[in-house]
Amino acid sequence: MDTVFGISYDGGVVLATDQVNARSILMYQQNLDKIAELSSHSAMGVSGPNCDLVNFSEYISKNLKLYELSNDGAKLSTHAQANFCRGELAKALRKGPFQVNVILGGYDEKAPTGGSLYVMDYLGSCTKAKFGAQGYASNFCLSIMDRDWGEGMDEDMAVKLVEKCIRELEMRFLINQKNFIIKVIDKEGVRTLKYGADPADN
Amino acid sequence: MSILEYNGAAIIGMAGKDCVGIASDNRLGIQYQTVAMDFKKIFKMNDRLFVGLAGLATDVQTLDQLLRFRMSLYELREEREMTPRVFTNLLSNMLYEKRFGPYFCEPIIAGLDEKGAPHLATMDLIGAQALAKDFVVAGTCEGNLYGMCETLWKPDMDKEVLFETLAQALLASVDRDALSGWGGVVHIITKEGVISRELKGRQD
Amino acid sequence: MFGSSLVIGDDILDIGSHKFDAGRTDQRAIGSGAMIPARLALGEPGQFDVPDVPDPAHFCRNNFASACGNGDQGQSVKFAKGTTTLAFKFDGGIIVSVDSRSTMGAYIASGTVKKVIEINPFLLGTMAGGAADCSFWERNLGTQCRMYELRNKKRITVAAASKLLANTMNSYRGYGLSMGTMITGWDGTGPQLYYVDNDGTRLHGRYFSVGSGSTYAYGVLDTYYRTDLTVDEAIDLGKRAIYHACHRDAMSGSINNLYHVTRDGWVKIHAIDVNDMHYEYLEEKRNAMASS
Repeated sequence: MDTVFGISYDGGVVLATDQVNARSILMYQQNLDKIAELSSHSAMGVSGPNCDLVNFSEYISKNLKLYELSNDGAKLSTHAQANFCRGELAKALRKGPFQVNVILGGYDEKAPTGGSLYVMDYLGSCTKAKFGAQGYASNFCLSIMDRDWGEGMDEDMAVKLVEKCIRELEMRFLINQKNFIIKVIDKEGVRTLKYGADPADN
Repeated sequence: MSILEYNGAAIIGMAGKDCVGIASDNRLGIQYQTVAMDFKKIFKMNDRLFVGLAGLATDVQTLDQLLRFRMSLYELREEREMTPRVFTNLLSNMLYEKRFGPYFCEPIIAGLDEKGAPHLATMDLIGAQALAKDFVVAGTCEGNLYGMCETLWKPDMDKEVLFETLAQALLASVDRDALSGWGGVVHIITKEGVISRELKGRQD
Repeated sequence: MFGSSLVIGDDILDIGSHKFDAGRTDQRAIGSGAMIPARLALGEPGQFDVPDVPDPAHFCRNNFASACGNGDQGQSVKFAKGTTTLAFKFDGGIIVSVDSRSTMGAYIASGTVKKVIEINPFLLGTMAGGAADCSFWERNLGTQCRMYELRNKKRITVAAASKLLANTMNSYRGYGLSMGTMITGWDGTGPQLYYVDNDGTRLHGRYFSVGSGSTYAYGVLDTYYRTDLTVDEAIDLGKRAIYHACHRDAMSGSINNLYHVTRDGWVKIHAIDVNDMHYEYLEEKRNAMASS
């Protein structure tokens, strides 16, 4: 039901998710932030039932923080964070899985274009990608991304592409996802670019 | 749909004269949706031993990590490389260990043994070994792969002929399978070294 | 064929059959029956054998998989399916663009299926769902349209033709027919496009896409569709939308067949291998990025 987008560009990545918190036929909230910030330069968009979403993103982000604290502030690369994530999903798979699909993005000094993006599903299959979409949205939006994504895009173009995808969902997707939150990760770190409703406003 | 067909794969191992080859497709899908076209399914264990894993992608990645760990440990302890025969038994045992909650993977093992002779093996997801002298196949288009290999395989192929045979068998097979394809990769293992080539395949 | 189907193996061979009885109270009225006497039209409901069970619709539904709706419920006999088709109206007429893959499960049964059915020189139908159902009922529609022409000395409108098909579908509702089609053509009222499916749904619209890859095609179509496209732009849009669907959807692929419907009837524009398109568009994208 949830929607997660990730698009890499020259110098970083853009992550976007819908802000719906719903269960069964009931909508609880429309201002959820489903993009968990993992470290100063990485974050992951998570889709799934709220309990798994919160548990999983907290579990991952706190463990990564613990790693930093116990290793003199040494940070894991985005690749390593993605692999840790994947490992935990795979481990959980055989003892009550986290029902979460993830797109993890981060910025590394050493990476060729700075940003890198990893797409993984709740089973734990993980793959590096230029762009990705999770949930029903992927059926509508992967073709748009295939069509428009190109080498050497800048942040502005990446955000425009995300917005194109959101417009498509407004037009075609049965479920009404009114609000989206968009975050950008570049050499300055993670920042919230825009949201439909303030996640802090409760 | 079987859990082994959830992500899609096609892998062949084939023997030549003093060489052995292994080939796989590149697709990672979620049932009928193609998610990635550069997914790795063949893993290098050492210079003379490759393993291809077909099946559920998460278990493919988990098994690769586990195998790499076990290989490194063996090399550190024994100060020598693992032979394909030992590796086949190791993997078989690892799979049977999970008899009641298996890894959903069917491996293809291709390597050269101590004497430089081809070693080909495959097993089911709980480790029942099957050794072959000519070729072994696994994946969602097993039937197609068998058909192509049966017709194209000849004894004593040299490394170039082996490459061509593997490439044609793989590409022709995946073109009749919806769940695999989107390009491929071939590794030819010889005593002198490994030749790896990317295959340009159909993108639909 | 029924070797593995233990569930129905005993039934399907022994139950016998009876003719579809239009007079039975639990069956619906036959839409097209009003126009043609039943014995004249091939495929008129009265000509079909149906299983000799109290509820034949229920029996069909549970033993033969349908490609739409709640399709696969473990039925024993499954039909070929998996498709991307699309059609859109624009200022220069109508573009009809389809793929040509036919799958049975994961096996690609054919890559050269003609999914655009040329009903007559002014009418085109597309094929999604069961191949047999589509080709049979659209051929049947063709004869009905010809009968109309002979009786009334004028061509049938697209609206009427699509309604005939929708009526036929309606009379077989619940029998597990599988068909998602777009009926297009040019009549006295201009270019027309209708969507008809096996539920009996009939929609009039500017553009539609049908099949397992339709969502991908809609993605491209929704983003780039305009009514004031030139003919060349429209052809490229139809081609691209099919390509992107074929790239992502495992059940769609092979050849893109594209038709252009104009005032003077339809013309086949091209039949291009989707794989060639991939590299053509890759090159195009590279050049665009290099120049910007």
